[in-house]
Amino acid sequence: MDVNPVLLEIFKNRFSAIAEEMGVVLNRTAFSPNIKERRDYSCAIFDARGNMIAQAAHIPVHLGSMPMSVRAAMEISFSEGDMIALNDPFRGGTHLPDITLVAPVFLDGEKPAFYVANRAHHADVGGMSAGSMPLSSSIFQEGLIIPPLKIISRGRIDAGLMKFFLSNVRTPVEREGDFSAQAMANLTGIRRFRDLVQRYGFEITRQYAEALLDYSERMMRQAIESIPDGTYRFADVMEDDGFGAEDICIQATVQIEKDRAVVDFAGSAAQVAGCINAVSSITLSAVLYVFRCLMPEAAPTNAGCFRPVEIRSKPGTVVDALFPAAVAGGNVETSQRIVDVVLGALARVLPGHIPAASQGTMNNIAIGGVDPRSNRPFAYYETIGGGMGAGAFFHGESAVHSHMTNTRNTPVEALEYSYPFRVTQYSVRKGSGGSGLFCGGDGIIREIRLDCDAEVTVLSERRKRGPYGLYGAAAGKPGKNTIIRRGRIDARPSKFHERLQADDVIRIETPGGGGYGREPSDV
Amino acid sequence: MVLVGVDTGGTFTDFIFQEDGGWRICKCLTTPSNPALAVLEGLGRISAADKPHVVHGSTVATNALLEHKGARTALITNQGFEDVIEIGRQNRHALYDLHYHRMPPLIPAQRRFGLRCRMDCTGRILEDLDLDAAEKRVREIEQAGIESVAVSFLFSFKNPGHERMMGQMLGRLGIPVSLSHEILSEFREYERTSTTVINAYVAPKIQGYLRTVLDFMKDAPLRIMQSNGGSISVRTAMREPVRTIFSGPAGGVVGAYEIGRAAGFNRLITFDMGGTSTDVALIDDRLPLTLESSIARHPVRVPMIDIHTVGAGGGSIARLDSGGALRVGPQSAGSDPGPICYGKGGQLTVTDANLFLGRLIPDHFLGGDMRLHPDKISAPFGQMAAQTRLSEIQVAEGIVQVVNAAMERAIRVVSVEKGFDPAEFTLFAFGGAGGLHAVFLARLLNIPRVLVPVNPGILSAIGMLLADVVKDYSLTVMTSGSCDPQRIEEMFAPLETEAVKDLFAEGIHRNRISLKRYLDMRYEGQSYEILVPARGDDPVAAFHELHRRAYGYCSVQKNTEIVNIRLRAVGVSEKPELKKGELSNEPLCEACFLGNRPVVFEGRFISTPIISRQGLCPGNRIQGPAILVEYSATTILPPGAAAQADAFGNLLIETWTG
Repeated sequence: MDVNPVLLEIFKNRFSAIAEEMGVVLNRTAFSPNIKERRDYSCAIFDARGNMIAQAAHIPVHLGSMPMSVRAAMEISFSEGDMIALNDPFRGGTHLPDITLVAPVFLDGEKPAFYVANRAHHADVGGMSAGSMPLSSSIFQEGLIIPPLKIISRGRIDAGLMKFFLSNVRTPVEREGDFSAQAMANLTGIRRFRDLVQRYGFEITRQYAEALLDYSERMMRQAIESIPDGTYRFADVMEDDGFGAEDICIQATVQIEKDRAVVDFAGSAAQVAGCINAVSSITLSAVLYVFRCLMPEAAPTNAGCFRPVEIRSKPGTVVDALFPAAVAGGNVETSQRIVDVVLGALARVLPGHIPAASQGTMNNIAIGGVDPRSNRPFAYYETIGGGMGAGAFFHGESAVHSHMTNTRNTPVEALEYSYPFRVTQYSVRKGSGGSGLFCGGDGIIREIRLDCDAEVTVLSERRKRGPYGLYGAAAGKPGKNTIIRRGRIDARPSKFHERLQADDVIRIETPGGGGYGREPSDV
Repeated sequence: MVLVGVDTGGTFTDFIFQEDGGWRICKCLTTPSNPALAVLEGLGRISAADKPHVVHGSTVATNALLEHKGARTALITNQGFEDVIEIGRQNRHALYDLHYHRMPPLIPAQRRFGLRCRMDCTGRILEDLDLDAAEKRVREIEQAGIESVAVSFLFSFKNPGHERMMGQMLGRLGIPVSLSHEILSEFREYERTSTTVINAYVAPKIQGYLRTVLDFMKDAPLRIMQSNGGSISVRTAMREPVRTIFSGPAGGVVGAYEIGRAAGFNRLITFDMGGTSTDVALIDDRLPLTLESSIARHPVRVPMIDIHTVGAGGGSIARLDSGGALRVGPQSAGSDPGPICYGKGGQLTVTDANLFLGRLIPDHFLGGDMRLHPDKISAPFGQMAAQTRLSEIQVAEGIVQVVNAAMERAIRVVSVEKGFDPAEFTLFAFGGAGGLHAVFLARLLNIPRVLVPVNPGILSAIGMLLADVVKDYSLTVMTSGSCDPQRIEEMFAPLETEAVKDLFAEGIHRNRISLKRYLDMRYEGQSYEILVPARGDDPVAAFHELHRRAYGYCSVQKNTEIVNIRLRAVGVSEKPELKKGELSNEPLCEACFLGNRPVVFEGRFISTPIISRQGLCPGNRIQGPAILVEYSATTILPPGAAAQADAFGNLLIETWTG
């Protein structure tokens, strides 16, 4: 096929507009602050074989894993008007709170011509602790596992299934609202796909979807080609799993050969008891994120980007966990370390481009209980930004989410309306960035006082050793978790779960970014 | 009395006024270092006539923000929340940028001061304001040479007590003080604080600027255009300058609204295509408002005309990227070096493509005042044709198609994505390049009709003349949507009393005041609000209907809540009347024909008549293909389209005939 550069550009914009509009709908119709305020969701569209054509720029950790969800869903036979829900990390999911809804786009044929899908982080999906981000030792403690299931059949919600699901979560009204928002987003995507095909015809639309994958592939190959050939290795650790395992190694060997890259995780630790195991889709997302950062910002993110990059990992390791490993934190914590390691390997050959380590954690905090104001149960979940790493020509940015996530904070005033808490401090953690010729960005301090008894789960990393600096600069300051009860300050480890009382204060200080280059006085 | 509209633009400051029943235009070169100079020069030229009554849209506030050149400002917050404006929403705007940097906050850390005091979400005082510490801060601010202060405490919209105390203490410094509950009485501390900080940051500049203009005008009346589509007294503009940001584009939409209404069209999609960017807005029988604007990435949550801007215009640069796609924009050649055909530029732009296709006519470009260089573009088109393996004509048409696709997407955002079918609207095209693309764009969106007004290049200034006096009020109430009507009356009562008092002070007579009530509603537990007009009937039912329109469903069994109440107080102002002529059946007069030239439509050259717009009489009909030229704009009628001049001189174009 002869690709017309004009049509290529027009289709590029039309496809990404579909994914973006799905995101607008999901955002506006969702019920939970988690989606509207924090924007913890992603939307994407796929071809008939499940190749991702376009993804709206939402959350990088969903990058590689969304296509795996769609392929898992494709194993079920679809009819028009069906939608499939799933969250099973071992069948296309990442961790249980991320629920993906996949819908086929039927045109004239008997088989779907395209697919649309979106994934949203639900604030609770049951399991042993409120917020469903527990310090677990098996997937069964983390909440309800949803294998690919037809939740909507020919346009009708399966009331039985829905009732079953809602009976197993702590905040069913909110869940149901978010579910319908996800369905609306997919319906919008389907409608826009039909508009597009009506204008250009199916064959042209299909051909240009394919041409766009080739286009992104070319851009990715050019990006890889700009890296000198060679083999580059780097290792770092996850500090602990909350169950006694410490310094859990993650090692990446990046091999660059012309316009191809192989990333091998040989040398990484075996999977652990605690919940920081990453399933392979997360490792895929993290590696692709790093390579995607080497492409121009405006390039479309699609399946073509994945073609020149091969990932090798051994099943049963912490970067390729097997059922029934606990995985709640793999998505949010281990994914960040995988990025740190792959970037670390490339830093040596791309010193001008690759910065020092960013905070390397998402500082997950979940609080659940019964709101004394309404006597209704609540489940609050949030992640907190930190420092970004400095680079060859710049200081790291402060108080911002980095790498695999980009969720927003919940405004203090929105939070106090919705939950029985009071925020007592929310500020930049001055001086926490690693010093150097260029300094790492500072972390954040967030302090919450409870108005009632509640259970709290914190899942964080980089609490013992800070994010690494590069070329002689200092690491960022490690984060700190503390509980303040009646004036007494008590340190807590990186991962803890406990019942707290009214008036207790939880204080989270997030890590600063690593510095870059030796300070002039040291030289 | 002569009403004069004055719009400060990037290149020209436009003046428009009525004389002998017709519009008179005057243009002065904008003086960026002190924009008052151009305003004074123009007014000097005009005031030979009567005592002018001026409505002015200024870019002083906008530019101070874009160039980061506002006042030395301090911020007072609760202790522990001094960094809220720095952290923002903790997200980054570019996902895959390892070198990411956010916009630095307008007030650096050393000028942000925290004080012990706290309200809860019901307005109950949890901790009193520490007066000694507050007094100390005031003295520090006094000594630090601060020019303006913003104060933003948590939940001040529920209980403004502490902010008021602070305001009183700061009052003695004699510098502008912006209190968050007065600027924006709504929840979400980052957005409220940002809006208040912007107000404080631009206040001293605006005040100085307006004083200069006022001094010159002696005691002649002056009103200032706001971004909400209404004008306001100078006194209010000095106190709340945040409301004057983006007033130029707002003037354009108001102009479109009023001209469209007079011509019989109250459902419009406005399309203002300029050199570097394009603004679009959707008018469904009322001015569209948004509460989610931002400037230079700093949120501004006062109501503004809902305008969607894309970085594509006549100056957008075309290039073949490394993956093989023909990209147009967002880089722009601007006015310097400008498109290649302006003589200095080196990269092909949309304007060059229009010239190549024969759609821009060198002799008539800005009345021939600006020379175009058609000879300079053939080599670059040849090169790009070789690169893309397309013909030169395909390249030129391709550039226009790609930029049209970007415009189409912008219009879909304001229409289709909000539940409106563009086919039910009229495309109202203005700006320098609007008429060149309008009919092609209308065809892409199945829009049946295009309207190009008289003087499309200075519509913003016209809009300012036609704008009413408008003041917006809001308050976060967070209450059940099914509350009884009596409660709603009680909530609005204090806002309405204040509004009537304020409009009185603006010099508006009581019988020219209208108060419009709105509710920000959502389903209980949802976190996005929909603006619901509250016209006394059932707001809950209206909310369900609006939700269904925007998102395709509603849940009547779910509880609703009212998050904010809003009041829009309108003082209907004296306006110039739009001059209406008699429609005639006379054929186009000979003098209108300026000759024929070959123009490309769908891949081939077609001999096309050039017609002078000035010579058209109401009722004249023109069949496409044709090119209509006037001083500041060109309108293309492709084959299959037809135009008629209406009684007001507007060009009404049928997108498809037959």
